Amino acid sequence: MKRKKIIALFAVLAMTASLVAGCGSSGNTGDSAASVDEGTTAGEEASVNEGSEEEPAPETESSGDAEAVTIWYYWETEGHQVALDQVIQEYNASQGNYEVTAKYVPFADFKKQLSIGASADELPDIAILDSPDHASYVEMGIFEDITGKFDVGNYYEGTVNSCTVDGKLYGVPFGVNCLALYYNEDMLSEAGCEVPTTWDELMATAKALTTDSVTGLALCSVQNEEGTFNFVPWLWSTGATSYDINNENGIRALSFIQSLINEGVMSKECINWTQGDVMNQFIAGNVAMMENGPWQIPTMQSEAPDLNWKVTLIPKDTDYSSVLGGENYAVINGGNVEGALDFLTYATSEEKVKFMMDKFGYISADKTIAENQFEADSPYQPFVEELNYAMPRGPLAEWPSVSDAISLAFNQVITGTATPEDAAAQAQATIDGIVK
Amino acid sequence: MKKIKKMFRYENVGILFVFPAFLYMLVFVGYPIIRNIILSFQDVGAGNLVRGTKNFIMFDNYLELFKDSVFKTSLSNTLKYTILCLIFQFMIGFLLALCFNQRFTLAKPIRGILLVPWMIPVTVTALMFKLLFATDIGVINFILRSLDLINKNIEWLTTPGTAMFALICANVWIGIPFNMILISTGLTTIPKELYESASIDGANKVQTFFNITLPLLKPTIESVLILGFIYTFKVYDLVYVMTSGGPVNSTHMLSTYSYKLSFEMFKYSKGSAVANVLLAILLVVGISYIKVTTSGEEE
Repeated sequence: MKRKKIIALFAVLAMTASLVAGCGSSGNTGDSAASVDEGTTAGEEASVNEGSEEEPAPETESSGDAEAVTIWYYWETEGHQVALDQVIQEYNASQGNYEVTAKYVPFADFKKQLSIGASADELPDIAILDSPDHASYVEMGIFEDITGKFDVGNYYEGTVNSCTVDGKLYGVPFGVNCLALYYNEDMLSEAGCEVPTTWDELMATAKALTTDSVTGLALCSVQNEEGTFNFVPWLWSTGATSYDINNENGIRALSFIQSLINEGVMSKECINWTQGDVMNQFIAGNVAMMENGPWQIPTMQSEAPDLNWKVTLIPKDTDYSSVLGGENYAVINGGNVEGALDFLTYATSEEKVKFMMDKFGYISADKTIAENQFEADSPYQPFVEELNYAMPRGPLAEWPSVSDAISLAFNQVITGTATPEDAAAQAQATIDGIVK
Repeated sequence: MKKIKKMFRYENVGILFVFPAFLYMLVFVGYPIIRNIILSFQDVGAGNLVRGTKNFIMFDNYLELFKDSVFKTSLSNTLKYTILCLIFQFMIGFLLALCFNQRFTLAKPIRGILLVPWMIPVTVTALMFKLLFATDIGVINFILRSLDLINKNIEWLTTPGTAMFALICANVWIGIPFNMILISTGLTTIPKELYESASIDGANKVQTFFNITLPLLKPTIESVLILGFIYTFKVYDLVYVMTSGGPVNSTHMLSTYSYKLSFEMFKYSKGSAVANVLLAILLVVGISYIKVTTSGEEE
C-alpha cells in the first residue's frame, strides 16, 4: 500500500511537471514562430537590400518605444510580398513612432481569420482585403470611418464605391485590376484567325484553335468568389445585372458558357482551376485563349519569356464589359488607428503607389497615375482600356450570398446538371431571397 | 496531514489523475461546444457578430436547414460516404491483416510500409488523388485508356457521381492501414492454443476463421468500426482540397457546408447549426462506443 502511495505521488508530480513543461513548450513554440517570422523578413530584407543599397539598416530604428502596427494581407505571390515589405521597411526607417509588421494569411482563410479575429478581439490594425468583401466587414463594424482623411477624388469611381457605405469612407483602394482576354498570338496566326471582338467571333476562333492537345478558351470557373469574378463579365455583357438574372439576357450568358463546354472549346476541368491554374495551362500551351487579370503578367514574363501572347478586351455580346477587382486598405477600429493612418498616408503617396503597382502588376486606383503608368505598347495598356468597361461587384453586405448563387448557376450549366433556364430561375429565387 | 493522506487514498487518486485532462477538455472542448450550441439558437450574421443584439430565434436555424437542399445533400453525402468507406476499408484492411499475420519473410516490413498512407498528411493525399483523377493529365484515365477500357477521358472530379467515387477511393486508401493495424493487433491476442486444438480436431481454415477468429475478434471489430465511423464522418480536409464540395455542391459534407456557411457567407448561426447536427450524430455513435467497450471489459 505504501509503495502504491509513493508511486501515485510521483505520478502526480510528474504530471504537474509535464503541465509546466507543457506551458514552457507552448511558450517555445511562440518564440520559434517569432524567430521564423524574423527569418522570413530577414530573407526579404536581404533581397530588398539588393535593390537599394543605400537604405539604412531598419533594426537601428526599430528599437525604442515605437508603437506596433500590424497588417494582414493575402497575396501569395512572392513579388507582391517583397514589394510590400520594402515599403514597410522604408516606412519604419523613415520615422521612429511606429513599427509596422505584415502578416500573410492565405486567401482561403482570410475571411475566416477576420471573422474569428473580430469575435475574439484579435485583429490587426490594417487589413488589405478583397474589395467585394469590404461592405460585409463594414456592416460587422470592425472598420474605422476615415471620411475626409484621404483624398480619393481622383480614384476610379468603382473602387471608391467598394469601400463606401452610406456615404462614409471605410477604406482606401490599394490598386485595381480587371479581367481581359489573353490570346496566344502564334496559335491565332497559325489558325489564320483574327482577334475576336464578339461572342460569335470568339466561338468561331475558339473552335478553330481547338486541337487534340489544345482547348480554345479557359476561364477560372471554381464555385466561389473567384469563379463569380470570372463569370460576371459575360453576364453583364448581355445587359443582365448581378441581381437580375432570370431573363433573356441572363439565360443567354449561361447558354453561351454552356455551349463553350458542349462544343468542346473549353474544358470542364475549368471548374477546378483557379486563375493561377488557368494561367499555367495557358503558358504550358494547353490553352489558346484565357480570361485573366494583369497580376499574372510578371509571372508569365518570367516563367515563359518566349511565349508570344497579347491581351485584348473580353469579346462582347451587347456591350463590352469587365469586372473590377483589387484590394482595399481598411483601418480596424479599436486598434492603433493613429499609426495605421500614418502608414496609409505614407503608402498611398504617389511615389509608393507607383512603386508597388509596378511590382504587383496592378493598375493604380488613382486615375491620374493609371493613365501615365504604362507605355503605349505595354501589355498592361489593354487593361487600362478595359477598366473603362469594368464594374464593381456589390457593394453589398450580403454579396457573398449573391455571389454564391451566381457561381452556382454557372457551375450548373458547365457540368450540365441544369439547363440555363433552370439555373437562372434558381439563382434568381436565391437572390430575391437576399435582396428584396 | 491527515487530510492530505485522505486525499491520496487509493480510490481518490484516480480523480487526481483525471483532473488535468478534465480541465483541458472543459476549456478546449466543452466551452466551444456550449458556445456553438448557443450560437445556433441565435441569428448571428455579419451585422451582429461583434456589436448589436443577438436575438434568440430558437429552432429557426434548424428548421431552415431541413428545407435547405444543400444541407440535405450534405447530410446524405456524409452518411453515404461514411458507410461506403467503412465497408471497403474494413474488408480490405481485414484481408491484409489476415495476410500479414501469416509468418513469411518480409511480412513485417511490408506491414510497416502499408502504414504509410495513414501517416501522410491528408492534404498531401488529397492533392495526390486530385492529380490522379484529373481528366486530361490524370494517371487513372491514362491507364484506363492504355488498356482500351475507355476511349474518352472520364471527367472524374467534374461530374457529381464520379467525384463522390473519387473521394471514397482516396479515403479508403487512407483508412486501410488503420483497420489493418487494429485488426492485426486483435489477431495477436487470440491464444495460439485454440488454433492448435482446432487443427487437432480436424477443423479446416474456413471453419477456424468463422468459429475462432471472428468471434474472438468481435470486440476489436466493434471498436474498429465505431472509431472508423467517427474518423470518417467528420471528414473535412480531404473534401476541401479535392472538390471543395463541388461540382455544384454535390460533394458537400456536413463539415464543409458548415465551414462555407460560416466563413464564406457570414451565416455564423446557420453554420453552427450544421456543426451541431454533426455533433449530435457523432455523440450517439460515441456513446455507443463507450457502451460497447465497457460491456466488453465486464465480460
